[in-house]
Amino acid sequence: MRKLIEKDGTQKLLASLLSIVMGLLVGAIVVAIVGLGKSNIGVKGVWDGVRLLLAGIFSTGRNTAGALTWGYNPQNLGNMLFRATPLIMTGLSVAVAFKTGLFNIGAPGQYLMGTMATLMIALSVPAGTMPGWLLWLLAFLGGMLAGALWGAIPGLLKAFCNINEVLACIMTNWLAANIVTWAFDVSNFKNIVEGTKTGYVYKTTYGLTMVDGEWTYVLGNGIATPKMGLDKIFPGSQVNGGILIAIALAVLVYILLNKTTLGYELKACGSNRHAARYAGIHDKRNLVLSMAISGALAAAGASLYWLSGNTEFFWSTYQALPAAGFNGIPVALLAVNNPLGVIFTGIFMAMLNIVGQNLTGFTAYNEYITDVIISVIVYLSAFSLVVRMWLSGRKKKAEAPAAKRETEKGGQQA
Amino acid sequence: MQSEYIIEMLGIRKEFPGIVANDNITLQLRKGEIHALLGENGAGKSTLMSVLFGLYQPEAGEIRKNGQVVKINNPNDATALNIGMVHQHFKLVDVFTVLENIVLGAEDTKYGFLQKKQARAKVQALSEKYGLHVDLDAKVEDISVGMQQRTEILKMLYRDNEILIFDEPTAVLTPQEIDELMQIMKGFAKEGKSILFITHKLNEIMAVADRCTVLRKGRYIGTVDIKDTNKQELSNMMVGRPVQLQVQKQDKVPGDTVLAVRGLTVPSKTSKKDAVKNVSFDVRSGEIVCIAGIDGNGQTELVYGITGLEKSSKGSLTLCGKDISKASIHQRSATGMSHIPEDRHKHGLVLDDSLENNIVLQKYKDARFQKMGFVKKDAVREYAQSIIGQYDVRSGQGAITTARSMSGGNQQKAIIGREIDRENPLLIAVQPTRGLDVGAIEYIHSQLVAQRDAGKAVLLVSLELDEVMNLSDRILVMYEGEIVGQLDPKKTTLQELGLYMAGAKRDGEGEMDK
Repeated sequence: MRKLIEKDGTQKLLASLLSIVMGLLVGAIVVAIVGLGKSNIGVKGVWDGVRLLLAGIFSTGRNTAGALTWGYNPQNLGNMLFRATPLIMTGLSVAVAFKTGLFNIGAPGQYLMGTMATLMIALSVPAGTMPGWLLWLLAFLGGMLAGALWGAIPGLLKAFCNINEVLACIMTNWLAANIVTWAFDVSNFKNIVEGTKTGYVYKTTYGLTMVDGEWTYVLGNGIATPKMGLDKIFPGSQVNGGILIAIALAVLVYILLNKTTLGYELKACGSNRHAARYAGIHDKRNLVLSMAISGALAAAGASLYWLSGNTEFFWSTYQALPAAGFNGIPVALLAVNNPLGVIFTGIFMAMLNIVGQNLTGFTAYNEYITDVIISVIVYLSAFSLVVRMWLSGRKKKAEAPAAKRETEKGGQQA
Repeated sequence: MQSEYIIEMLGIRKEFPGIVANDNITLQLRKGEIHALLGENGAGKSTLMSVLFGLYQPEAGEIRKNGQVVKINNPNDATALNIGMVHQHFKLVDVFTVLENIVLGAEDTKYGFLQKKQARAKVQALSEKYGLHVDLDAKVEDISVGMQQRTEILKMLYRDNEILIFDEPTAVLTPQEIDELMQIMKGFAKEGKSILFITHKLNEIMAVADRCTVLRKGRYIGTVDIKDTNKQELSNMMVGRPVQLQVQKQDKVPGDTVLAVRGLTVPSKTSKKDAVKNVSFDVRSGEIVCIAGIDGNGQTELVYGITGLEKSSKGSLTLCGKDISKASIHQRSATGMSHIPEDRHKHGLVLDDSLENNIVLQKYKDARFQKMGFVKKDAVREYAQSIIGQYDVRSGQGAITTARSMSGGNQQKAIIGREIDRENPLLIAVQPTRGLDVGAIEYIHSQLVAQRDAGKAVLLVSLELDEVMNLSDRILVMYEGEIVGQLDPKKTTLQELGLYMAGAKRDGEGEMDK
């Protein structure tokens, strides 16, 4: 038992859990302060707010008497898993880069390139020319490829011109945002049929079909990620098999990094490029490869999100980068860059999202203050490193008296 | 009552996870003396000094100044007690000027503005008084290591410190700079300042110290007067057994040529000139060929050119009969080249990785350690443990220890074990004993001789003249990128070698071809 507690892995897990608890508690305090300062919320509103913050995922709304009701809420849980899918993928992307000594702040750009490739492939093949699963696979892999190529650019710049990857990533983010906006702007994928929806691209559930001698998009002829039975467990939610694919990819990344010679090479190059080169490892190739893998993972998040069929892409992104890309950073940090940990921290972040929604929906807290509260929680959650230092500091103090006793014993024997 | 000692550390104990760094250590420093603190790497010297400087809190023991017990919780407390330290790795801000570095943390201000004029006057006075020449307006990144060290010393003097700690001050200096430093230290002692001099170089202790305290494996061994002792006795105290200061080796007739270098030219990274110019030589099996020379005469680039870390612009390399002039680092290594690199932190180890992963740094792709791209962790562990045992690599947690947390000597032993165990016909060792203590040097020298006796070709690059003379079968002297002489260590003298190294003498063209 003691061994288990002293193990490095246990310490990391404990630290992450403690920082989550800390974050939630401070979040609750913020809820209280905000609520008590506003006349339309009051003590009762604060009590509701705190409860929703801590257990919002099990909220089922309000009953006719106006009291909050609780219970198993399959819709909340399913939506949580659905929203966790891209977060897990971008979290993995950032974690892989961190493990190989790189800071991939380019996940938003890679996510956008993945979005573009996936949607364009899915929407440009006429319905019926190939089986739906094949088109799905093509769109998914195409998205990943686009992300890999986009991620490789900062990698190449770092490997051959020694340009800091953070700088290059930020540049490529905005390049991606503008390229994607332009590409959809001049394309036929815009959903201008449905009235005011000019800013959106067709969902992938629309298929390109010949109607009366003209190519039009028809709902239901397109593709969507299979539900894989998850809709039975979480009825009424948006969940689909994407979450299972994300989890499988996380496990694969874990195996790649920890069990394979390629992972060993990538990590060696990441922590000491010179030593890797000295040992005959192709440092430049591995650097580019790390960034490409990282980019592919971020783009896979986009593919899984848009291929769900429930989601519509707002293509005018030139002024805003997708939050899912940046949120990969706290997801990875909270998981201490462990690919398996990313599964859980991704889900946790998605849960906060749902909680925020419930807080806005069922109380007088408005959506902006909800965002602030959620941000506070995320911010404190990323303190796991500090908590870890604090934990190991306590351990040392506990050991010191024990060691002293032992030496005293040893002294008597001598 | 005035105590005989200005600083006393009594019964100090400091532990780290898995290791007792200091166990009941006593150190008493008299006013106005130069007191050496001697011990191997990992003996606990630096830890003890960090305790004195307030960087670590001891688990037991007390510190007294002039007989009064004092508590030192942080470096500021140490400064308040007039204790100053020159760290082994300098703590300077690269982009600040020398003057700015000296006043940093002890700035004189008036209404919140820096009083640079007063500071400059004070520093100039100190610099003249002690002969510490520095350019006050140069940026630290632009000045030599020697001047950086003088800056550190001036920092201590600027703060009116009475107790000066020097942590391995000579490791980075040239012979001339070392002599200078010794004179400066003697000057301080005459002024009544007390000096703690941490080192493992016996010559320096004999030259300047009054007394010497010896530590071994975290324990206090004793304090001796330098005038009553000698180098052999000190090294025995430090290592705990009689040490061979001379290398033992038998004569051996060299065999076939293993490495043939012809007309090798390597461009310089820093200037337009070539760092290595048209160099040719052979290394045969069963001999140790030593490249001697003053640092910066192209030795590093020559090794880079041979190992492939740098591209050569001209010339050919033949290893074991195969042309490797254009081969990749990996191919050269696989053809039969082991390389103990000059900089063990930059090239030798992935410091943040475990010892076992570092031991298989070139071997992880061998069929022994992987199957279908998956690392066989058990095989790696087993192999690492055999190397650790065979080469006596000591570390806190064995194979899973992070390389960074190991002492320099043990890091080097791990690298040497790794390279020798690859059993390649050619072993290139670049300054393999740099910064190591007597015990480790003895061990590494015996390993290199054993490799030679086993019929390996050894190419040694060294800046230490003793090492060059004792170890090599043949000496090649490098000067400004060229090999200017080939010497037989048995028939030459240190003086003659020195003339070649300084470029004052060189072999004629005819002699170079034998």
